[in-house]
Amino acid sequence: MDGYVLTIWVVRVLFLALLYVFLFGVARTLIRDLRAAAREPVTDLGRLVVLASPAGEPTQGASIGLDAITTLGRDVNNAIVVDDQFASAQHAVLTFRGRTWYVEDLGSTNGTFVNGVRVEGVSPLGYGDELQLGQVRMRLERPRR
Amino acid sequence: MTAAAPALPGIFEGIRPRPRWRELRLLIIATAAIIAGSVSLELARSDPGVGIAKGLSPAEPLHLLVYLGVLFGVHVAQVVTGRRTDQVLLPAVGLLGGISLLLMERLPQDLVVQHVGSADLGLADVQLVWLCLSFILAGAIAIVVRSDLWLRQYKYTWAAAGVGLLLLTFVLGSEINGQRLTLSFGPVSGQPSELLKVILVVFLAGYLSENRPLLVEESTKVGPISIPPLPYLAPMVAMWAIALGIVVVQRDLGAALLFFAVFLLLTYAATGRLGYVGLGIVLFLVGAFFMYQLLPHVRSRVDVWIDPFVSPQTSGYQIIHALYAFGRGGLLGTGLGAGLPTIGSGQPGGIPEIHTDFPFAALGEELGLIGVLAILGLYLVVIERGLRIAASAGDDFRSLLAAGLALVIGVQAFIIAAGNLKLIPLTGITLPFISYGGSSLLVNGIVVGLLLALSDKGVEPPPPPRPPSRARRLARRLGA
Repeated sequence: MDGYVLTIWVVRVLFLALLYVFLFGVARTLIRDLRAAAREPVTDLGRLVVLASPAGEPTQGASIGLDAITTLGRDVNNAIVVDDQFASAQHAVLTFRGRTWYVEDLGSTNGTFVNGVRVEGVSPLGYGDELQLGQVRMRLERPRR
Repeated sequence: MTAAAPALPGIFEGIRPRPRWRELRLLIIATAAIIAGSVSLELARSDPGVGIAKGLSPAEPLHLLVYLGVLFGVHVAQVVTGRRTDQVLLPAVGLLGGISLLLMERLPQDLVVQHVGSADLGLADVQLVWLCLSFILAGAIAIVVRSDLWLRQYKYTWAAAGVGLLLLTFVLGSEINGQRLTLSFGPVSGQPSELLKVILVVFLAGYLSENRPLLVEESTKVGPISIPPLPYLAPMVAMWAIALGIVVVQRDLGAALLFFAVFLLLTYAATGRLGYVGLGIVLFLVGAFFMYQLLPHVRSRVDVWIDPFVSPQTSGYQIIHALYAFGRGGLLGTGLGAGLPTIGSGQPGGIPEIHTDFPFAALGEELGLIGVLAILGLYLVVIERGLRIAASAGDDFRSLLAAGLALVIGVQAFIIAAGNLKLIPLTGITLPFISYGGSSLLVNGIVVGLLLALSDKGVEPPPPPRPPSRARRLARRLGA
């Protein structure tokens, strides 16, 4: 085979191969990123920002970090104490399962509301949604990174 | 180093160089690829049987050097200022730009001639200037922009500016090839619809992030079907009207399709409701049907798409020769510089407007299926990085902005690549970072710069969420 023709084909294939080497490099970065993200301990799952709280507990404007299971109610043993005359002792529980937040009403007298709709059983809660227990209104915010 | 620190002015305080090894590694691979491509082009050129017969102009190694210099310059600037921006975006886009430069070197240089002073700049010269400016712009935005307030707070101002720009083009724009796209002020001319796509994304990100709860929660029931709340359909109808206006007045099908597709994708990303998308598609089909019936330029585009061989010498000429080019390319391609297309306009077998509308066909011939898939892969990388930046963004506005910016590039590449392949009717928009054209390159530089800035982990955090608007509070009080 002619040396010239051989050279030109080698260079052409090399060019195409290098394009794929580049894509491979990007893919490796991606995989490494994903592995690193999986190893990273999940510290912050979401926060509740208190929009309105007539009785002052929780304080209005407070931003409360959430655990994977967060109970809310008037009883002092709750993770978030909601001192409101219309809240029950064990009012509601927020749970983080998979990648989503859920809210469950624990048989409260006056009910739990998500965006103004009363929760029946377990209901998903998205970031930006508004949660209401008694007169206390809170909004679920994304975790800080 | 530490001794010199106090002498620096305020902006440079607290800036510490930070290595970016991944970016450097990828940039080196990209450089190797570009150099290999350039050598392959050079070999084809020096082949006495092929190169001279095809009229390939002599090489300009200086072009390559300048381009790579700018790429590494942007890299070094980010290292020196210690920015923690995305490290994959710049090499990926840089490789696309490099392929563009190779293609422009290979095409006949007299496709574009610009007179600057006494010098005549050919196609590759002009493209090199725009590519360099575009990357410098991207780097500058990535380094300088530390806050998104100027975008976030003035979204309606931006929208107004965008509509103003559009109307200005409607009235004052000059027609080129039957499309009223170009706006000129003295010696400076540009295509505002390129800039408009960025403004659209900024506005949509602001609007959707602010009204997201309302758009998600509420719905209007019509019989058994629940459709989105009626008042919030106004933007969708307005968007539809703007897209139709672009088709009717500017005759720019590509931009209209791009705007509407990005609008639908962002609305879906923000609300997660398929109802909006379904409604948008219905609106699109209705609009498309009437446009086809009423407007001759739309009908001719669609007819050519359905069967270009009806008029092989006139309206079907371009697309038929693009198909031939893909066919000649086959799996591995003919190699850079060895394709049949003396691809310039006016030459036998050549595709008209190859440097703006059909670079994908030219690459399909010379790099083959393998090369074209790699290029599509590079666009996928841009989208992937954009969505990744969106997923890790601090709040809804940044998230939607990043997703929208990446989708603009991705959707645009898809529309024109599919048009070149006769998968959808051909629309004359640019292939991002590859097509010849100053407006397109500069705006895509802005897009990449903004994406880089959004990905920076060191920028100031988003402002705290604002309390619900007055109207909403009032409604709640009345309801209570």
